[in-house]
Amino acid sequence: MDILVLILIVPFVFGAIMFMMPLHFKVLQNTHILLSVIVSAILLSAVRKVVEGNELSFFHHYLFLDSLGAIFLSLIAITGLLVNIYATTYMKWELEEGHISLQEVKNYFALSFIFTWTMSLSVICNNIAFMWAAIEATTLASVFLVAVKKDKKSTESGYKYIVLCSIGLAFALYATILLFSAGNGKVEGEAMLYTNLLAHAENIDGMALKLVFIFALIGFGTKAGLAPTHTWLPDVHAEGPAPTSALLSGVLLKCAMLGLIRYYAIVANGVGFDFVQTVMLVSATLTLFVASFFLIRQHNVKRMFAYHSIAHMGVIAFGLGVGGAIGLFAALFHCAAHSFTKALAFCSTGNIAKIYGTKDMTKMGGMIRIAPLTAVLFGIAICSLVGVPGFAIFVSEFLIFKAAAIEGQYLLMGIFALALAIIFIADFSHFFLATFGKVEGQVVHNKEMKLSENLPLIALAILIVSFGIWQFDSFTLLLNESVKTIMKQ
Amino acid sequence: MEHMIDIVTVLMMGTSLAVFGLRQYKLSILAYSLQTLLLVTVFLLLHVKYGAHELLIWSATAFVMKVVFVPLYLLRLVKKLGVVVEDEPVGGFFISPVVALSFSLAIAMMFYKVFMHFSLFQDDLPLFAASFIFMMGIFGFVLRNSFIKQILAYCLFENGIHLSLALMAYNSHELVEVGILTDAIFAVIIMSILAKRFHASYGSLDTSKAVNLRG
Repeated sequence: MDILVLILIVPFVFGAIMFMMPLHFKVLQNTHILLSVIVSAILLSAVRKVVEGNELSFFHHYLFLDSLGAIFLSLIAITGLLVNIYATTYMKWELEEGHISLQEVKNYFALSFIFTWTMSLSVICNNIAFMWAAIEATTLASVFLVAVKKDKKSTESGYKYIVLCSIGLAFALYATILLFSAGNGKVEGEAMLYTNLLAHAENIDGMALKLVFIFALIGFGTKAGLAPTHTWLPDVHAEGPAPTSALLSGVLLKCAMLGLIRYYAIVANGVGFDFVQTVMLVSATLTLFVASFFLIRQHNVKRMFAYHSIAHMGVIAFGLGVGGAIGLFAALFHCAAHSFTKALAFCSTGNIAKIYGTKDMTKMGGMIRIAPLTAVLFGIAICSLVGVPGFAIFVSEFLIFKAAAIEGQYLLMGIFALALAIIFIADFSHFFLATFGKVEGQVVHNKEMKLSENLPLIALAILIVSFGIWQFDSFTLLLNESVKTIMKQ
Repeated sequence: MEHMIDIVTVLMMGTSLAVFGLRQYKLSILAYSLQTLLLVTVFLLLHVKYGAHELLIWSATAFVMKVVFVPLYLLRLVKKLGVVVEDEPVGGFFISPVVALSFSLAIAMMFYKVFMHFSLFQDDLPLFAASFIFMMGIFGFVLRNSFIKQILAYCLFENGIHLSLALMAYNSHELVEVGILTDAIFAVIIMSILAKRFHASYGSLDTSKAVNLRG
């Protein structure tokens, strides 16, 4: 059976199986881990085929997997698997503390497979309308991963999530329709296919393409958390369970960004890179400074990381804005680096909330003595987020500086450095507040989590450091091939 | 035939104002159902005019899902919640439709000429109506506080997109329409579940009360 068909079927079937499982936590936990491993193995085997030089295609090229898609599919596989394993621990704690029922745990596990299914689908769609439908479906599949409980805050976060993302994505659908009608008759083959549109982008009317990109930026930018349409993100990421926030920030935002990158490639090759780069730079600068400003004021650890997600989407947009082969390489690398880092950051907030019974960092302190491993993992996430050398995010941020320097864009370098400096100061002050000194509030779980419970977090930390100091040939190959595809070299 | 399509699309624009402005939920939902029936009629007229057989299938699916299923589902929701009249919108009951109407007309005026340039069917009034209905939906989200009205606003802009799709991309693969329509139906169902939870938590459907997460 074609591997793309397996991607299309297996996660959905697993979601249905989870819905039918008996209400027994151990059974649910083990099944969830086993099925997550199988899904990730399927996704990674598809990625391996692409690394080996095959471009996968199925159903009249409506589904395909190129190097660009393979990068994002590997994020779903790796980050998704580790977060799903951590989710079983987190849900056990929630169950023990009576915050959630067994039925809700079962629904959560089942929906996380449906969510994985929609995200994988959005990555492998060559038909731009299918891609839009899949990205919209990611919202629908994840609403009840966010609004797990039925209280006021949970309901409010679910409401804001679906309403704001649906409005935003409606503009992306208009972009899709307009791109199809502008490309119809101008491109060889079906004008709904991304590969056809990219191959013949120069034949499509320039004015239409510019309008398409603005609509796509509003639409996918809303979902990706770019300012000024980012307002749903802090509320949703802060309110959802820690594994949900990790999945949303670590994987989902990247899927929306992939949608935008595909439009970026088509429009850039149709009207020239100057237009898309300028638009992305405006959006990125706004996003970086809005996020930095709000980041300073946050004391809720999850809300702080939510604003970080916005800031780092700004970094990716900045890389796309600076452009050139290095800028694009950096933007794509940042997608992976941020995925691992943010998954670790949000999962560590799960541990932190268990220790202190609160997300308010002013009521923490002394974590290094209470739970040294969690403190170190939290520290690794923070170090990577602020771009400390030796951690994954440093690589992409350094490359963005390099790309700007090569282009002689010193003003951009200054703007980027200023935004990163604000983030650096805000983060470390928050980190010290929670980790060192004396405990300001109460400690409800006065010990470290079990090693087995921390294993997914340790794996994420290893990935962050590995990507910071090591060059993985197969991953670099995917990045280089993707840059060539975008630049049509 | 030309006039028929124009008349029906003008009626669609009128019904979007009714969906937006009517205070009673039941009437508002019925206005939406009528609008979708008119949308189905436009599909059929376009099918006759241009021989686009795809639109025949579209009209059948739209009738079942949007003329019948969605309104019935929303009427059941309203009955279950025991709500009759919507909460006061932003700027009051009179100002908000005026603002939505004027801005939607202005924005639709701006965009329809661009769409006209690339559209498969060169019918100017339906293209204008599509943009207008879409914007009325967007303003529905911004200006109406009631959760039910916001679900109807979603339905409105989805109708606007559906009409645009028929005019600009009717010959795309049939699964495209199925995918978009499925998303829309699931969105309505999920929003309805959230509306029930919202009503249970806040004791009303007034979304302006959702301020617990600000900061």
